[in-house]
Amino acid sequence: MKKFAGFLCLALVFVLGFGVVNAADEAWWQAAAAPYAGTTIRGVSESTPPSNYVKDVLAPQFTALTGINVEFETTSWDQMYDKAIKDMEAGTGIYDFVYIEQDIIYSYLARDFLVNISAALAAKPELASPEFSMDDFTTFLDYFKNADGDVFGIPMEAFIKVYLYRTDLFEDAAIQEAYRAEFGTDLVPATTHEEYTQIAQFFTAYAEANGLELWGTTVQAASGHPASFYEFFESVAPTFGVYNWGINTENWKATVANGGEMNSDAAKAALTWWLNNLQFAPPESTSSTWDEVAASFAAGRAAQGLVYGENAAWIATDPDRSRVVGNVGVALPPLAAGVLEAAEAGDGYIGYYDGGAFGLPITSKNQDAALLWLQFIGLPEVQADWAVAGSRVTQQATFDEPAVIAADEATNGYYTMFKEQGYLFAGAPAFPFHAQVREVVAPFIYRAIAGELSPADALDQAAAAADAELVNLGYGS
Amino acid sequence: MRSKRTGWLLLAPTLIILFIVGFLPFLYVLYVGFFDWNVFSQEAGMTFAGVNNYRRLVFDTDFLNAVWLTLRFTAVSVLSQLVLGFLLAQLLTRDFPGKSFFRIVHTLPLMIAPIVVGAIWRLLTIPGLGPVPYFLDRWFGFDYRIGQFADHAFITTVLMDIWHWTPFVTLTLLAGLTTMPIEVTEAARVDGANRWQLFRYITLPLLRPVILTTLFIRIMDGLRIVDEVWMLTGGGPGTATRYVGIHIWRVVFPKTDYGYGSAMSILTLYFTIVICWLLYVSISQKRSSD
Amino acid sequence: MKLNWRKMRALVPTYVVWTIATLVTLLPIWWMIVVSARSRVELFDRPDFIIRSFYVQNYTNVIEDASYREYMLNSIIIATSNALLVTVLALTATYALSRYKLVGSDNIFFWTITNRMAPPAVFLLPLFLLYTRVFAIGDWRMFDTHIGLILLYCVFNLPFAIWLMKGVMDSIPPELDEAAMIDGAGTVGVILRVIVPLAAPTMAVTAILSWVFAWNEYLFAATLTSFNARTITTGLAEFVTVTGTNWGEMAAVATLTLIPSVIIVALAQRYIVVGLTFGAVKD
Repeated sequence: MKKFAGFLCLALVFVLGFGVVNAADEAWWQAAAAPYAGTTIRGVSESTPPSNYVKDVLAPQFTALTGINVEFETTSWDQMYDKAIKDMEAGTGIYDFVYIEQDIIYSYLARDFLVNISAALAAKPELASPEFSMDDFTTFLDYFKNADGDVFGIPMEAFIKVYLYRTDLFEDAAIQEAYRAEFGTDLVPATTHEEYTQIAQFFTAYAEANGLELWGTTVQAASGHPASFYEFFESVAPTFGVYNWGINTENWKATVANGGEMNSDAAKAALTWWLNNLQFAPPESTSSTWDEVAASFAAGRAAQGLVYGENAAWIATDPDRSRVVGNVGVALPPLAAGVLEAAEAGDGYIGYYDGGAFGLPITSKNQDAALLWLQFIGLPEVQADWAVAGSRVTQQATFDEPAVIAADEATNGYYTMFKEQGYLFAGAPAFPFHAQVREVVAPFIYRAIAGELSPADALDQAAAAADAELVNLGYGS
Repeated sequence: MRSKRTGWLLLAPTLIILFIVGFLPFLYVLYVGFFDWNVFSQEAGMTFAGVNNYRRLVFDTDFLNAVWLTLRFTAVSVLSQLVLGFLLAQLLTRDFPGKSFFRIVHTLPLMIAPIVVGAIWRLLTIPGLGPVPYFLDRWFGFDYRIGQFADHAFITTVLMDIWHWTPFVTLTLLAGLTTMPIEVTEAARVDGANRWQLFRYITLPLLRPVILTTLFIRIMDGLRIVDEVWMLTGGGPGTATRYVGIHIWRVVFPKTDYGYGSAMSILTLYFTIVICWLLYVSISQKRSSD
Repeated sequence: MKLNWRKMRALVPTYVVWTIATLVTLLPIWWMIVVSARSRVELFDRPDFIIRSFYVQNYTNVIEDASYREYMLNSIIIATSNALLVTVLALTATYALSRYKLVGSDNIFFWTITNRMAPPAVFLLPLFLLYTRVFAIGDWRMFDTHIGLILLYCVFNLPFAIWLMKGVMDSIPPELDEAAMIDGAGTVGVILRVIVPLAAPTMAVTAILSWVFAWNEYLFAATLTSFNARTITTGLAEFVTVTGTNWGEMAAVATLTLIPSVIIVALAQRYIVVGLTFGAVKD
């Protein structure tokens, strides 16, 4: 379906010519790109809707405007990193732009893999488009800056991981009645962990009594895939007040004994709560990665769950993929006492702000042409349709586009929440060793899911392993 | 009449290609194995570490566990394939209507890409979507969860491998059985040998080289399995199906620990060669003693 | 073939066993086809094995996508060239190993096989460097070319091919080539006129199996290609994404990739058994 949409958009582009950029600017782009016409720039990304929109719609527009060809390799999630890293580490210069997920940027910065885009544009004013401005972006841009505030990546997608619930179930009079009879309180989206579990338990029992294929909650607990690590450390642990994976960023230690929090009581309570939810989750949960959680929810198999925001729009609107069209509500994740206040004060966060950007590898041989391209995808004009095609928003003004407002209504306020409360969420911690420590810690989470380790043991061992690995990598001592 | 030069000339293209795409990379991996090289460690680039990586490996319980799991997986799946393959091949030695249909269908799994095999089996076994958990629950009340229970995942990977590779074993054993001299079997039968005796004293010894060759190939490929299991379980639940190929993959790809991963690969390759060499020696001995 | 009742009765166990084996073999494949016939929402319906309606979009989307046609074409080029190359090389190599008393020929034989044993993940790094840095002339590099993959697949196809062919080669009596040589044939003449006709079934199997392995290979193709030489298996992996695995289209592509393999195998069925003897049994 999305491929078809891509074709339609493509056809539209050809019919309208390159109507995105107005006449005066068109002249600027042609003049600026003149020295590079005919060159080809290459990039790599994952095959997701926002990236496919870039490949199918924006790249042809850019080529029509500037004469610079764009080749775009879409690949799987693992491969995308591996290929970009190999290219940059070996200095082969295959790619002129690479997808940088928010969580890997610190690793790339630590190794000086990326071109400083701010500095490059300042140094070459003839390449700096008058239409392009870093100020147009949401605060998500901050994740792609170094300590001096220079930008190293142009955001291309951003989401928050929200609490989705089924409005048709939560607003059903009979169900509300039954819930009130059982617990003495109204059935509303949970604000605390206890309420969340209670609702999950209630719906699981309700479904069992009525012979429904429905469970109380999703859990992204794939027992052999980092998705479960991420759900726990980036979406669940923060709601218990455990931030940065429980790693102390002063001395790079994870164990409580050394000043970390990975095996703190709060972290253990978080893991216990999260794993406890598995009994109220559909049986596929221990095989579910991020996309399968969304698919379970879309299939109507869960009453509530934490779901990545990029899926919110299609779950709420696309009848080809979803059984719960029009029945999706969004809320902030359930929180422990004090966490919301801390997040509002800027001392913490309540969930995961996810997304990615395109960066320019220092090894690229076509840096000037790539700079033009990166500005092009950052133009305000191209944002609205892209936002709808990929349910992503990276610029402040995009929230006011009619198409986005319509999507906001369909999702019962996902974009409003994103706009107004997005600041409460945060991206992955600023670790240059992101994937390395994740790989060391994740197996303990997998084993806790499989029941081989108790939550407390899993986190004790994970924290000890993280301490050892960090020393091994040269962080702390 | 046969000049050695012509011989070497005929062999040269093969050796050159294998040298370039096989041996050079091996040398490089061997070299890297003596260095600390993680792309994202604080100290970038390679630093010489001597045999430290190997010293670490010997005490690395994760790695040793992966090796043990791989051996267990390979032993169980290859032996099952051998038994099943022999049974099926034996039944194909006689002609009967429909034989070629059965044989063609039986060959199908061999033709499917390993990642597709993994994907198909994932689709079969995911609870909530796949028929396997659904029918196991409905017919037998059995709670099958591949993402939850280590045994279920292990057995499923074994069954998948059996499904995928038994046809190969059937075909090689069938080839062996069909080229067996009929006179010997007939003579033994005339002498009053019963089925078991026929199998034990005639078929098995004659088939031994074929069996060993098949074993060799299956063990070699079983020890380096990645794609199918990667798609099916990703090594989970926990580390229950984290076979050595997957373990190395995780160390080398997401963790970008090139130095340690290289040492691990060299050691694994060494184990594999030793196991295969022992098998190979027994094959050649059998041949030269014929 | 005439069958009487007693013979039929004796065949009952055979039929029972083979019917079960066939069902077990077909079930996963049939499930793949069922999945390819369902839309994304239907996938969560009751998991039974019946196709009630066929969601053709899974197929048409893929067939109309130019990049998948290109992947398919690349796979065909690479697999076919590799199969031919491997068969020819295995023919000459095993002829050399079998007929010329070369120093260490037994060790050479075993060494060629060890090439197949390496755990693949870590060898990608040197191959990547080799293909991007060493084999690069000006702007051209071996990376992302057909020839790169064709040569690379020799690493795991050649050992297997050499093993298959070695047995046959050893079982062809050297007296035959000597007779041809007396008639004035050169080395090439002997191989073409004496060896090839006798080894044809094994060569066919070698070519087929090499083709299938090359057609199905994923990991190396994924790492060593990017735009021009991407194969269909790398295209398959693209369906698994952060925002949802498109199982239907993935199964559709998988089903399509299976078709050429099935045709080839069905056509060459009778060679497969004849050719797979590894020459291990003396005739």
